[in-house]
Amino acid sequence: MLKKRIIPKFLIRGGRLVKGVGFHHNFREAGNPVSTAKVYDAYGVDELMFVDIDATVENRPANGSIIERVSEEVFMPFTVGGGIRSLEHIACLLRSGADKVSITSEAALNPDFIRSAASRFGDQCILVGLDYARGDEGKLRLFTHGGTRATELHPVEFAQRMQDQHAGEILLCSIARDGTMSGYDLDLIHTLSEKLDIPLIASSGAGTLAHCAEALNAGASAITISSMFLFSDHSPIKVRTYLATNGLPVRSQQGSHS
Amino acid sequence: MIAIVDYGMGNVRSLSNAFEYLGEDVVVTDDAKVMEDADRIVLPGVGAFGDAMQAMHQRGVIAPLNRQVQVLRKPLLGICLGMQLVAKESVEHGNHLGLGWVDARIDRLTPAAPLKVPHVGWNSLDFPAQDWLFEGIRQKEANFYFVHSFHMVCANPQDRLATTDYGGEVTAVVRHDNIVVMQFHPEKSQDNGLRLLQNWVNWSA
Repeated sequence: MLKKRIIPKFLIRGGRLVKGVGFHHNFREAGNPVSTAKVYDAYGVDELMFVDIDATVENRPANGSIIERVSEEVFMPFTVGGGIRSLEHIACLLRSGADKVSITSEAALNPDFIRSAASRFGDQCILVGLDYARGDEGKLRLFTHGGTRATELHPVEFAQRMQDQHAGEILLCSIARDGTMSGYDLDLIHTLSEKLDIPLIASSGAGTLAHCAEALNAGASAITISSMFLFSDHSPIKVRTYLATNGLPVRSQQGSHS
Repeated sequence: MIAIVDYGMGNVRSLSNAFEYLGEDVVVTDDAKVMEDADRIVLPGVGAFGDAMQAMHQRGVIAPLNRQVQVLRKPLLGICLGMQLVAKESVEHGNHLGLGWVDARIDRLTPAAPLKVPHVGWNSLDFPAQDWLFEGIRQKEANFYFVHSFHMVCANPQDRLATTDYGGEVTAVVRHDNIVVMQFHPEKSQDNGLRLLQNWVNWSA
């Protein structure tokens, strides 16, 4: 049986891990990416995700050298996001050891890019990130450039369009909930997972063990966790044990060589 | 020495890192002479079937691969798309001929809702307990990392060594003479994956 995935999401700024609130505020230093990746590998998490949060705004692709160092020591899947705007960027990150890339701004600005990326690297390789919040008129809107620029796009319609463009997975990020540890956006997770045939990764809002179970029960195939791992005493082992106790399929093995 | 065949598609770095971690001498190459010197051949691959066959033609690796695997009978390990390429044909984005080393075809996964495609994540494996390939792996903890939308359908059921369940049986490992191919990524499957790679390295076809 396919297991639900627990994915620590690491934000990278200046070569270090950071974590803030609402995409823009209260950034805190959270350690060295390579040694942190090794710790989470030892915990037996299911994937790792790295997002170079300044890449799009600084008009460059995500930093591949960190990925290279991680892939020398950690033998598990990882996704890299940040500033990806060309097939060459993707090829470069995959050569560095990434398995999947996450594309947010370029997907919203140039949706056809997702189709060409999927056709070159395979659907399974291309995650489309949806950073969303309520716009001025109260409607849900997608944002680009690390949550700094609003678009006219609606997350549900856009997710379906991305599925048609051969996105492999959708990564759903609520700007309002990011870093608040107040729970995932269950309504939107439920709506999207009903409508989509591709896997949905729920992000933003994990603060308690119950939040994790709620998001998966709402239909997410995977959850990302950031602040809760970095700033609370909830380890991946506690999350996995809690989910298993509550009847969700998770990996029993917690094995890693390190 | 292990030769990982480079035809421009796939995460070859993770694979060579994994073999190096196991203490193996490994080289990533598209050079026929290097393949000739190797004891073992690994065929990686991520992407679309037709593009991969075309890329292998362009790199000129098909003739040397045929020689290493079909004439010299060196142990071959195919991973993910590298598994699928050994089949006779695939229906991914049109009809494409494969290397044809295993009598099998590649079809799209079509599990019933609510199962999603691609099949992404850790899934359990059903495998023969006494088989050398799975030595040291416990059935109860045998989860491996899959990420694929197409799967192999074997003409000869005896070629199918292990399966996973995704809305029905899905071929996970196929073994045919000196050829071992797997749909999941051992180089991304933490301890279980490293153990499988070690078992393959220990095997002489």
